[in-house]
Amino acid sequence: MTEQMELEVRNLHFYYSGTTQALKNINLPIHKNNVTALIGPSGCGKTTLLRCFNRMHDLYPGNRYEGEILHEGSNILSDDIDLISLRSKIGMVFQKPTPFPMTIFENIAYGLKLKGIKKRAELAERVENALKHAALWNEAKDKLHASAYDLSGGQQQRLVIARALAVEPDVLLFDEPTSALDPISTGKIEELIMHLKNDVTIIIVTHNMQQAARISDKTGFMMLGELVEFDVTNRMFTAPSEKLTEDYITGRFG
Amino acid sequence: MKLQKRRKIKSFLALSLSTAAALFGLFWLIFILYDVITHGIGALNLSLFLNDPAPPGVEGGGLRNAFVGQLLITFFATLIGVPVGVLGGTFLAEYARGTKIARLISILSDIMVSVPSIVIGTFIYAILVKPTGQFSGWAGAVALAVIIIPVVLRTTENMLSLVPWTLREAAFALGAPYYKVIMQVVYRGAATGIFTGILLSMARVAGETAPLLFTSFNNAFFSTNMNQPVASLTVTIFQYAMGPYEVWHQQAWAASFVIMLFILVITITGRLIIKWRYKK
Amino acid sequence: MKRKNPFDLSFSLLTAAASATVLLLIAGIFIILVKESSLSIEKFGIYKFITAVDWNPVKEIFGAATSIYGTFITTFIAMLIAIPTAIGIAIFVTEAAPNFLKGPIGAAIELLAAIPSIIYGMWGLFTLAPLMSRYIEPALQKTLGDVPVINVLFQGTPMGIDILTSSLILSIMIIPFTASISRDSFNLTPAVVKESAYAMGATKWEVIKNIVLPYSKLGVFGGIALSLGRALGETMAVAFVLGNKHHITASLLDPASTITVTLANEFTEADTDLYLSSLFYLALVLFVLSFVVLAAAKFFLFRAERRHSR
Repeated sequence: MTEQMELEVRNLHFYYSGTTQALKNINLPIHKNNVTALIGPSGCGKTTLLRCFNRMHDLYPGNRYEGEILHEGSNILSDDIDLISLRSKIGMVFQKPTPFPMTIFENIAYGLKLKGIKKRAELAERVENALKHAALWNEAKDKLHASAYDLSGGQQQRLVIARALAVEPDVLLFDEPTSALDPISTGKIEELIMHLKNDVTIIIVTHNMQQAARISDKTGFMMLGELVEFDVTNRMFTAPSEKLTEDYITGRFG
Repeated sequence: MKLQKRRKIKSFLALSLSTAAALFGLFWLIFILYDVITHGIGALNLSLFLNDPAPPGVEGGGLRNAFVGQLLITFFATLIGVPVGVLGGTFLAEYARGTKIARLISILSDIMVSVPSIVIGTFIYAILVKPTGQFSGWAGAVALAVIIIPVVLRTTENMLSLVPWTLREAAFALGAPYYKVIMQVVYRGAATGIFTGILLSMARVAGETAPLLFTSFNNAFFSTNMNQPVASLTVTIFQYAMGPYEVWHQQAWAASFVIMLFILVITITGRLIIKWRYKK
Repeated sequence: MKRKNPFDLSFSLLTAAASATVLLLIAGIFIILVKESSLSIEKFGIYKFITAVDWNPVKEIFGAATSIYGTFITTFIAMLIAIPTAIGIAIFVTEAAPNFLKGPIGAAIELLAAIPSIIYGMWGLFTLAPLMSRYIEPALQKTLGDVPVINVLFQGTPMGIDILTSSLILSIMIIPFTASISRDSFNLTPAVVKESAYAMGATKWEVIKNIVLPYSKLGVFGGIALSLGRALGETMAVAFVLGNKHHITASLLDPASTITVTLANEFTEADTDLYLSSLFYLALVLFVLSFVVLAAAKFFLFRAERRHSR
């Protein structure tokens, strides 16, 4: 493959506090400006893997990584990595919309302010860009200073995406971003994700195989903490090379 | 990145301050516990429980009258307060569930829980002591019952609300009238919780002093006559600690230790029961 | 179907009557206190009673201003110490502490809240007051006693039986209570919202300041108001060490009196009808005052609850 590599997972093992091993020897390339989907039955480790990319597991004591994830030539799992700058380069969107208890404007400006941007004009411009980017500008421009909780669920999720985009990350991680939304909002988010990949690399965890098939370029299928198969999405869904993958995709279990 | 370093230092400082606050709080806790335990144990002896007070300033003597009085008052307060509280909570959680009046009574009970207890003392003085011209154990018991009622009422309401509605429906389906469903099914489901609430309310009133000052008053002699002034540990502590004699101070420490031990044991037991019953 | 059974009807009426006792009690306390204080209300009125500084049982002149002032000043200083400490503790137990400490320290704080106020009061008299008069108050006088303006706060002989000691005990007593309500409010912040702030690269403090505190604001306000209500009406924690002196003083090293301390010390000694009636009047003032504060607290907590159940 000649595509550029954004992240490379090498021999990754992960253990939750205690002794349970949640990920076993994962090797996975994440290509630039691709949408990479991670699918698999619940409990397979796909969300656990996703949360390795921005070291969310470090919030809770006792969790342990082994192996490497390379980003721009350095291992982001090493101890001397600065988590604050790592997380501002690799953003995350969660299952449920997570607006902060602030106005719409402040929500989006939040990450920028953390980065030390203080000028009103620059903030206003970047907030507007982020909202436009997340296709929320038209709906939100007249109530920028209203509470973020006033938005509908689907709008809140796009707000959260805009918030993550505002800091111009390299990678965006999506953890089942549409599972709490109605079909119309889901459609909007999917459209948005496909459009966003021109600017950022996207990794999305989803339990919805049709969604993975619709929006992703590459798909990884996981089971019991292992990566069973990784391939171009089209091939994966039409001619999987593993029997397990085929069984899962055709709905024989899961 | 200088900015990031600043942010991290700021975070570190803020968290250190919160740690300092916790240490400050714990410092007083340990200081008080240590003081009460060392002084209290030092002053504990058998005659404290077996003898009545000696004349002021004379060595020896005990607080038998106050221990017995405290038990009497608490016992009758519980006897009056608990049924009212449990029944009242039943109304809020069952017959009046979800109504505005239930909501109002809930809120007022919560306020009632925190109304200054000395005000309750003056109220009981006006309705029970003044008309009879007599401080009495009964007045003290009623004053404490007034404190118990809202506590037990709210706990009962909460515990009954935790019993799944489907359980009641299942009993209705067998043709049981509501009162039988409540007594035979709902109370059984919530028994541990209600019992714990009663325990905790007893711990709460065991340390009350202010409402007893003008109701059961105090009595230097042994008396189990609830129509007369009855001694209590807490009022005795107040009187003895403010008094001039070293013997009194020693006995006040000892009495404080006993009360504290009683309350801590009940509180811990109550919490353990809740943990054991509801966390699993 | 439910109400047709006669037993059921009587049981429901019984429970209704039991729950009505709460209404009866609150109304009863108010009415009885008004009735008992009517003599004093007639004589002194409302405004005059609250603002008059004379409390003289011998001349039968009764003004509540000194007691009200004492209640406010001790409560104010106690809250000044207690609020930041309690919020600090709540932050420590929910966010800052290592996991193995969160449980035990939280439990210790709850136990501290269960210790009755008379023990705080007695400990204050025997242990804290001597320490204050021997070390802390002289030190305060030495350092702050010469600073203009502030020095009026630290005048007089440090006896340990004074406003400062009382306020400190009062604060120690309400800290655990305030801390445990604040902690409960902090814990209502959804973990995923906190995570998403961390995922933006926020530091722990930034998450607390920008997410947890705004999220639990109403609950914390409610907790503070509830503690305020408690502090206003607390008797035994201050009765030992305040000295029951009726005057208005700027110095924190002077004895003073609160409504509760006046009641505790003088109620059984009131020898005239007007004296007793004025004490009932004081109790009425305290009842109304704390009722208003507690109702405000419930209002905040109610709104906080509603917000989270949305």
